Amino acid sequence: MKATGKNSIESILRACRLIMKMGQGTADMSPSRTMYYKMLIKYFSSLLQAKENGDFIAAHTVFFPAEVIYAMDLVPMHTETTTWMTALFTGECSDILAAGSSLGMASEICTPHRGLAGAFAIGALPRPDVMLWSNMVCDNTAKSGELVMELCDCPGFFIDRPFKDSQYEVNYLVGELQDLVKFLEDKSGRKMNWDKLSVIVARMDKQIELIRQINELRKSVPTPFRATGFLELLSVDYLFPGQPEAIEYLETLLAELSEMVKKGEGAVSRERFRVMSLFIPPMYLIAFLEKISQEYGAVSVIEPFFTFWGEGRLDPAHPLESVAKKSYMIPEMRMYRPMDDLALDAIVDCAQQYKVDGAIFYADVGCRHSCATIKLFKDSLNRIDIPMLTLDCDVVDPTITSEEEFREKLERFFELLEER
Amino acid sequence: MNVAGLDIGSLTTKVVVIEDDTIASSGVIPSGEEAESTAREALAQVSMRAHIDSNGDLYIVSTGIGGKSISFAQQQKSITTCLARGISRLFPTARLLIDMGAESITIVKLNERGRVSDWLGHDKCAAGTGIFLQQMAKLMQMPLEEMAKISLNAKSPAEISSTCAVFAESEVISHVHRDPPTPREDIVAGIYSSLVSRVMALAKRVGIEKDVAVSGGVALNIGLLTTLEKELGFKILVPEQPQLVAALGAAIIAGENIDR
Repeated sequence: MKATGKNSIESILRACRLIMKMGQGTADMSPSRTMYYKMLIKYFSSLLQAKENGDFIAAHTVFFPAEVIYAMDLVPMHTETTTWMTALFTGECSDILAAGSSLGMASEICTPHRGLAGAFAIGALPRPDVMLWSNMVCDNTAKSGELVMELCDCPGFFIDRPFKDSQYEVNYLVGELQDLVKFLEDKSGRKMNWDKLSVIVARMDKQIELIRQINELRKSVPTPFRATGFLELLSVDYLFPGQPEAIEYLETLLAELSEMVKKGEGAVSRERFRVMSLFIPPMYLIAFLEKISQEYGAVSVIEPFFTFWGEGRLDPAHPLESVAKKSYMIPEMRMYRPMDDLALDAIVDCAQQYKVDGAIFYADVGCRHSCATIKLFKDSLNRIDIPMLTLDCDVVDPTITSEEEFREKLERFFELLEER
Repeated sequence: MNVAGLDIGSLTTKVVVIEDDTIASSGVIPSGEEAESTAREALAQVSMRAHIDSNGDLYIVSTGIGGKSISFAQQQKSITTCLARGISRLFPTARLLIDMGAESITIVKLNERGRVSDWLGHDKCAAGTGIFLQQMAKLMQMPLEEMAKISLNAKSPAEISSTCAVFAESEVISHVHRDPPTPREDIVAGIYSSLVSRVMALAKRVGIEKDVAVSGGVALNIGLLTTLEKELGFKILVPEQPQLVAALGAAIIAGENIDR
């Protein structure tokens, strides 16, 4: 396919700079948010300039341990996040989705993956030097890497991460990570810096602890964190694992939220509904969701799949084992692990701890895995008398659902909560 | 103060006026191009019948697809909330409401207080809605009332797709032109079965709990209700004027608001 696409990275950078410029001096652009956009600019600028600077680009799918990439001074490119950020910041990504379809990808295949394949095919994303992927979390992820390798004519490495999480499986995953290091050393010509990896792991541990502390503050009534702020936490996790700027951002955010809690200030002027958000809202409706949140005093107080880390600590003395263990602590793994009572009870416990009035499940129609869990979560929450709204949508494709449809269903749901 | 509920649907506009906690008057008129003027006309007609000044002291709550565009209504409420209030007034034991309107099917689960505890809508395809039935009647070249009547004599309902209105139409045409043609009553019963299977799929997702009531214009169709009852395996509660349930609920909410 001919390289005809608009450069997605340039679009993201332009949008981030514009948001920062427009927000300058406003209350909305807090120091932590300013930091967040600066971080995005840094991440995507490194990617844009990588070829020029002679850097080695390691493209990787979601949950691939980017700590290893950072420890070897390679330039990471988180493929799915880059796709959904294109949708978030440019409002549409029809060109890359159409390009994905031209490759023969069916409309049922999740759009971040269809989009990323399309983006590589039309040259909207820079060609990576290696493609790294794993079976975390779904069959699309497991297959995406092979397609990108073919499209970009680059070598690749697949991590086979076991489904269950006993020590035996963790040891197996450590073996996979050792092979990954050998592969990257061979392809990039750079050596793994084990001391640096230990430092990164120590920082990642702190990062998780900071998110846990932020979550504690979010239990306050009124809750201090913005309705869609969790997407920033998610991006920081995905793009900056164990990076100093992530710590700085989280510490600043923690201080801001602590101050708000002390003053009794909430994220919305009058908090009426405390909501649990399940799965990913459509990126192109984020501004609308923020607006309706203010309008109705409805604010997301916890997102079990994004911000609610599993138990455990990371040990810098055993960096690879920690990276392996982390893959089982990631919040999303609540959905992609064996769906037993333990997993469901954690959601119920979460709803109670955060004094949730209702839950909203953003049912990404392209994600068969998450949609298969809807009824399980709904029934579990209903048992403690918490209603759940399911909103069919797509994380990046605006043709699946409209703002008007979302508004109508959300208003009905808020009425239901009010009537209770 | 008297109160009124206005339900602005895609095909019809419904009005219920309540005076001293009882229905003083009600009416249904076809929805025009402009929701506001149709609503005014409907309200004027119904008020006149109840000897109430529609321009006078009247607290109005509007609902339905065009409910938000009624500038003279004091409040707008969602259709689910209004359906729940309306059906609970008529049938306090109802725990599940199946609303079958012109363009949508909505299943509303009710708690013991008659409030919405869950709902599910089917709004992506016209298959299974009132407009779908109208199309089928046109295709069968008979009025809806006759369709309902002949369906009761069906011996072996035809298989009709329940997933797409357009596909269903082609299937009906193929049944009509078969040699020998499928008996008309079997085709009609097949159409109803396809609609009911869509309703049942939604109802099962919300959870079927007795008593089950129906509302919406489609609930006037006796053939369809018979098929639905057969599928459920028990009797359903049918209001005398099922198309007025949401307007009634809106009027009840209006009454609650002025009492506060």
